[in-house]
Order: sequence, then structure tokens, then C-alpha cells
Amino acid sequence: MARIIVVTGRGGAGKSAFAALVSRFLNPPTLLVDLDPDLGLADMLGFDLGREGKRTVCEALYDVIDRRKKNISPAITIHDQMESLLWSDCLYEGRKIDLITLGTKLTEGCLCAPDEILRRAIPKLAKNYTNLVVDSPAGVEHLNRNIVSQINDLFVLCDPSDKSLKHIGRIKEIMKQVGIRYAHFYLVANHECTEEAEGYLKNTGEVYLGKVDYDPRLERYNLEGKSLLELPEDSPACLSVKSILAKTS
Amino acid sequence: MGKVIVATGRGGAGKSTFAALASEYLARPKLLIDLDPDESLADMLGIDLMAEGKKTISSALYDVIEQNRAAGRTGYDLLSAVMPSVLYKGKEFDFIGLGTKFTVGCYCAPDAVLKDFIPTLVKDYQEVVVDSPAGLEHFNRKVVVDIDDLFVVLDPSEKSTKHIQRVKDIIKEVKVSYNHLYLLGNHRFTDEAEEYLRSTGETYLGKIDYDPDVRRYNLEGKSLLDLHQDSPAALCVRRILMKAGYELAK
Repeated sequence: MARIIVVTGRGGAGKSAFAALVSRFLNPPTLLVDLDPDLGLADMLGFDLGREGKRTVCEALYDVIDRRKKNISPAITIHDQMESLLWSDCLYEGRKIDLITLGTKLTEGCLCAPDEILRRAIPKLAKNYTNLVVDSPAGVEHLNRNIVSQINDLFVLCDPSDKSLKHIGRIKEIMKQVGIRYAHFYLVANHECTEEAEGYLKNTGEVYLGKVDYDPRLERYNLEGKSLLELPEDSPACLSVKSILAKTS
Repeated sequence: MGKVIVATGRGGAGKSTFAALASEYLARPKLLIDLDPDESLADMLGIDLMAEGKKTISSALYDVIEQNRAAGRTGYDLLSAVMPSVLYKGKEFDFIGLGTKFTVGCYCAPDAVLKDFIPTLVKDYQEVVVDSPAGLEHFNRKVVVDIDDLFVVLDPSEKSTKHIQRVKDIIKEVKVSYNHLYLLGNHRFTDEAEEYLRSTGETYLGKIDYDPDVRRYNLEGKSLLDLHQDSPAALCVRRILMKAGYELAK
């Protein structure tokens, strides 16, 4: 059973970059799950889903639903059908890291249905990996949806703002109320945090693991759409993530 | 009938900062709506809803549901049941926040309440500013159906440029209408990255310059409305609004 790692935080705090680099330095095989409909993780890893003939969960799901509307559905439930499609159509297999992406939904309505597919699938997928890393969308709604209810390590990426501190309290309360359980709750500062801002994080009473240092190359890679797997191992962001991981059990 | 302004963008791009600063220059009466369940716009505007005896949509809605369950009532007029407790009336502007909910499930229900309220509310104001949560789901939900000006606040990344297309695809599919779509760059844009925004074929209105005071105010949880009129961010927002054809109140 994989160690379940969830990366969360306010928008722009650096969740995806952190999730990508964490996955890179964990023992393979690692499965990354990108829960953000405004997908970015595949690009950040240099994975081209389309070229490999892979689909996002939304694409597969709404295709299944469309077919069922046209009355050409097999005699199995959508959930069973999606479970097999996740493996055959949605799982991108990389060298050390595999990836499943929620994807963008273009029709009216919320993302509860595709999220529910992943909520059911994650415990099953986890059995085949050493680590399963979930990159969350910005905000809190994914927690209300209780998509991952058993977490080993929860990393909260923080930007230097009072909003981040309030966010920490808010997500703890939501998780308590909806019944999400976690073994470890870790705070990580993003590169914008000054020493003063880090001081605030250290005073929260939570476990503060350190900061992801500013890395001009990471910024450039993001702008140019280059893979973070190619970021040199001794670059500031990689060194920070490695030292943060070393502090976890 | 008020003008409906929506600020959207990827997480951390600066949507709320833009919405808060823009609100200062818009014509009265004006209403600000925070659609983000990770509520922060009220803080950025220096409003303490609780101290004012106001609730968020989420908490008011679930209170009403509880009360009705207890009283065995079905069917009620949500607008009259919820509106008085959620509408903060300030001197300069009014405010409504979606708020966090602490129960299992999505934000469709509180979002639907706002979606129902907005057409009624728009009639009472000159300008209505909606600050969106990060991401795209609020568009899928069609919380705001008729937008006058849609401001997309961007950070300098390839993800941002893809985001623009995604926003356009979704709102076309779900039929959200808008009169103008404007791109704004945040303080992290370099000249090179700005050049890229100019080449997208969309209307690029400029960038919001780096402003150490905005950073400090956000860290300390201070209201952005106390920011000096001549601070870099405020000046940029004024310039952007003028380019978009606004007659500034200040």
C-alpha cells in the first residue's frame, strides 16, 4: 500500500511544482494524481497525454456518458466501466512516475462526478505504488468533497499572507468535520516567504518543515513549459524539496 | 441595471487584489461578491462580517436548512430567508461572501443561492464586482451568466496562457455571455512575458506593478483600501480601468 501524500494550499502557493519535485525524489513507482481541472501538472512534467493516446478522467467519463445517452452502453455500471478505463485510457506511464489527470470539464455543472471516480479509485490505485501523490486544486472545495479520506502526509504550501494562516485553520476545521484523517500535517513556505513570514508559520503550532527557495530556473521552466524533471538536482528548488522530505519520517 | 464585473484567473494570480483595488474607483452604489469559499476578500477590504452581525451564504443557507428541518417546513423563499443576514451594507460599498462550509459535498448549493440572487441584486447597484475562486469550476456552474467585463488576471507561466483558452472554451460551451474579455498581467510579468500577452489576440490592458505595501498589507492582514492612492498597484489598477473605459469615481 502506497504512502498517500496530499499537497494542498491556496492558489499560486506552489503546490504543483512541489508535488512534481516531491514525486521526483520519492522511491518509485510513484503515482501522481492531478486533481486540478485547470490542468498543469502534465505540462510541468513534460508528459504529453495526447501523444500517448491518453485521456483525462473528464474526457473518458463524459465520453462514457455520451455513449450511454445514445444507448450503446455495456451492461456494467459507469463506475465499473470507469475503473477499467482509468487503467487503460487515463493512466500515463512514465519512467518513474505515472500520472492520472482529472482534466477540464466543458459542460455545465460541478466536478463532483469525475472527482467521485477518483475518490473511489485512489485506494485501489494505491496498492500498486510505493507512493501516491495528490496535487490538489486551489482552495478548499476538494476537502469538502472528501476525495482522499486517509492521508499519510499532508503538505500545506503557504504564501506569505495572513490569508495563508487563516487557510490553515479553515482546512483543519473542514477536514475534522468531513472526516478526513491524516497522520502528519506539514507546513511548507513558498519562495516568496521572507524570514518574517516564516516566523509566522513557525508560530502556528503546526510542524513547519522549511521553505522552497527561490529558483529562477524553475520560474523559467514554468514560463517555457519545460519539464521540472529536468531541473538540475543541485538547483535551489530541488535542494529545498529534498531537505524537506528528509525531515519527514 | 448595474454593470457586472468578474475577476478571474489561476490561483495566486492576484484576482482579489485587483477586485479590492478596483472597487475603490467604481461608481456608487456598488456591491462586491466573494465567490471563494477560502474567503479572504472581506479581510482584504477590512470588513469583519461577524462583528457586523452578518453571515456568509454558506452559513446562512445551512442555518435555514436546519431551521426548516426542525420546524418540518418544506418550501420557502430563500431570498427573503437568507438575504437580510448576508448582505453587509457599508458606507462605500456593500458586500456578500460565499463563505466556507463544514459539511461534506460541493459548493453547488451555496453557489446556486448566489446565482439566483445576482440578477435581483444587479438592479440595485451601479457596479457589481465578483471575485472568483481560483480555477474554472465556477464557470462550469454558471454562477454569473451575464458578464459585462471579464478581467482575467494572469501570472507569467505557460499554464496561464492555456488557462485563457480553457476559460473561453468553457464559457462558450456552458453559454456564459460577456461583453469584454480583458487580460491583466500580475506583478511578476517581465517585458518578455508581457509581449506574449499582447500577441494572444485578446485585449491586454497592462500589468499590476510590484508593490511592497500590498505584500506587507497581505502579510499583516490589513485592508487594501488603506493603501496610498499613489502606490504602484493602485496606480496600475486606475490605469487599467481607464483603458477599459471606466469613469473613475476618485
